[in-house]
Amino acid sequence: MTDPRREDRKESRPAWTSPVILSLLLHGVIVAITLVSWHWITPMEEPPEPSISARLVSPETVPPTETTSPPPQPEPEPEQPDPAEEQEEKAEQRRLEQEQERQREQEEARQREQERQEQQRQEEAAARERERKAREAEEAAREKARAEAEEQARQKAEEERKAQEEAERRAEEERKAREEAEQRAEEERKRQEQQRKEEEERRRQEAERQRQEEERRKQEEAERQRQEEARQQREQQLEQMAREAEEARVAEERRREEAAAARARETQMLNEKSRYESLIRDALHGAWYPPSSAREGMSVVLRLTLLPSGELQSVEVVESSGNRAFDNSAVSAARAINRYPIPDSRDTFDRYFRQFTIRFEPEV
Amino acid sequence: MRQIGQAPFSWRKVIAIPAALMMLAALASTAHAELMIRVTKGAGEAVPVAVVPFGQSGDLPGGDNISTIIRSNLEMTGEFNPLSAERMLSLPTNGDDVFFRDWRMLGQRYLLVGNVTREGDRVRARYELFDVNGERRLLGESSSTSVNNIRTLAHHISDKVYEALTGEPGVFSTRLAYVTLDENEGKPRYRLQISDVDGRRASVRLESREPILSPSWSPDGKRLAYVSFESGKPQIFVHELASGKRTAVASFPGLNSAPDWSPDGRSLLVTLSRSGNAEIYKLDVESRSLTRLTDHWGIDTEGVWHPDGNGFAFTSDRSGGPQIYIKESENASPRRVTFGGRYNAGARFSPDGEYIYYVHQRDGAFHIARMELDSGNEQVLTRTGMDESPSIAPNGRMLIYATRQGDDSVLTVISADGGAAYTLPAARGDVREPAWSPILR
Repeated sequence: MTDPRREDRKESRPAWTSPVILSLLLHGVIVAITLVSWHWITPMEEPPEPSISARLVSPETVPPTETTSPPPQPEPEPEQPDPAEEQEEKAEQRRLEQEQERQREQEEARQREQERQEQQRQEEAAARERERKAREAEEAAREKARAEAEEQARQKAEEERKAQEEAERRAEEERKAREEAEQRAEEERKRQEQQRKEEEERRRQEAERQRQEEERRKQEEAERQRQEEARQQREQQLEQMAREAEEARVAEERRREEAAAARARETQMLNEKSRYESLIRDALHGAWYPPSSAREGMSVVLRLTLLPSGELQSVEVVESSGNRAFDNSAVSAARAINRYPIPDSRDTFDRYFRQFTIRFEPEV
Repeated sequence: MRQIGQAPFSWRKVIAIPAALMMLAALASTAHAELMIRVTKGAGEAVPVAVVPFGQSGDLPGGDNISTIIRSNLEMTGEFNPLSAERMLSLPTNGDDVFFRDWRMLGQRYLLVGNVTREGDRVRARYELFDVNGERRLLGESSSTSVNNIRTLAHHISDKVYEALTGEPGVFSTRLAYVTLDENEGKPRYRLQISDVDGRRASVRLESREPILSPSWSPDGKRLAYVSFESGKPQIFVHELASGKRTAVASFPGLNSAPDWSPDGRSLLVTLSRSGNAEIYKLDVESRSLTRLTDHWGIDTEGVWHPDGNGFAFTSDRSGGPQIYIKESENASPRRVTFGGRYNAGARFSPDGEYIYYVHQRDGAFHIARMELDSGNEQVLTRTGMDESPSIAPNGRMLIYATRQGDDSVLTVISADGGAAYTLPAARGDVREPAWSPILR
């Protein structure tokens, strides 16, 4: 996003403060300085030093002396302009350097000449003169160097300011660009987010639709299966009902037949039962000698178990009369019958006469 | 006392009805599961029983044989049919020698074996009673007595066997009192005698040329009350048997007759005519005080106590002929209980008070009859024609009465329901007025 305050500041700034114009002004200043300096450094015929002679001596033989050469000039710090201007400045600087080199070599030659001449006249005075000159030169060089350094510092400050401004501009541009990029990215992100959401919504709706569709399909399938199963179940039920009805009919028929047979058998068994019950009762009548203590209302119940042969297997008193003699008489009567009359039918025997009870109760 | 003609109330029936309903329900529920056969009638015959001659060891007095006496006693009741010794396949004298199969083959239901041993002056009998079909011993005891008292031992064993087989106490050790009449030197001789129930070992307690009537045992069996004409008029005596002491307790003018001991032994019912008409009185034996219990212009006589001591029965002709009446208490109105025939007299209660036995005239003959007081059902028990003086055994199972046999009067024992008759062999000549003693302790 663009900072509105920054926009306001931008609009309130005068037109000449624009970076382009500043840059052009800066270049113009640089060119002017260059031309001026070039004029200043153009070799000029200096008036020859009076009485200066020079002779060539070997460096080894020459005692070290204080050099009169100017102190090394601080090299201007490389500017960071744009390449064309930078090349131009460099070329200018090289020319300045060559010029300075040439001047330095000329200075050295004069100094050597002066030294030779000094040596030749008064080494002491010469030396002082040289020293004074050297100091002056040094002072001048120092002044020059200071001026140059100041100029260079000013230039450097100017350059740094420009560079700072440029950097700030660039930073501002970069910030704006970054903000724009961020805004765009944000917008893009929002757009993508929106798109993603829409896509997701679309996919969700699609999935929902598919799910519903699937569910509907499953329901339809389930319904179809249910109906199919119900149909099959109905068919099975109908078949089962038909089968059961048939079975019931057959069973009923069989039951009727069995019932009829059972009734016939039952009738026969009952007849046999009644007949042999009567026979057993008669046999017991003849075998029972109720004691004189027997009274009406007195009774004893025995349980008899017979063998299939009619022989008595066991007899037990299951309900005593309370009168021992009476109970004994009944047990004795039950035991007195060697072989009980029993029916030929084993079923009838098993059902009624395998085990039965006798109640002895006198009717006085 | 139960009243005839009223709706009989019986707790037994009250209990029996729901019991019968429950039984019917039980029968209905189990009818299919298990057959139930009801047997309500017996063989109606005497029970076959084998009394094996007892083994003997030592010097025993001759004459009496224990097993023979027991066999006769059982036979006399009419409830048993002893097997004669001649038919026996073996003669075991103890249980170890018994083969039940042999006795089953002979159709015997019970078997008595035993042996007698002389032990100094005493005789010891060991005996065992078996259920032949059940092959189990019902009784096994040992008893002893003095050597000259074997009959007592035999009667004791008979009582034990009878009780084991019937559930009722035996009465073979009880005594009989009766009066015999014979002639001595051309004159009648009345003798009051006491004997075993089989007529053996009779002893004379009183002898008189005048009639002796109506002997009656006191409840403890130690005294007899009777009527004696020895003084020329009827008097009531109480005779202590142990000492022979006799006491005339009633010598009122007129009739003094028919004594009967009260159940508590303190008083006698007597018939007196001191008021000019025969009435029933209660005579306190100790104080001799009299309480008149009947008051009617007709003849009231032969009063007998109900076994519970409340009320009494008597004979009265107030209805025109002798009939039996009952007074539920001393002050209650008499109630006539016999209506069959013109003559019903000489009532005796059964020990349980449910029946009365009396002389009943039918078709010109006199029989002993029995009436169930609850129902009023009357049953003639004897077939002889001149029966009189019934007396009931203390267990209620037998009765003795006097009857005519040719020119003689004899005593006959029958079962209480009119079964087989047994004539006392010892009673010869005119024997009358029998009285059965209570069970002697």
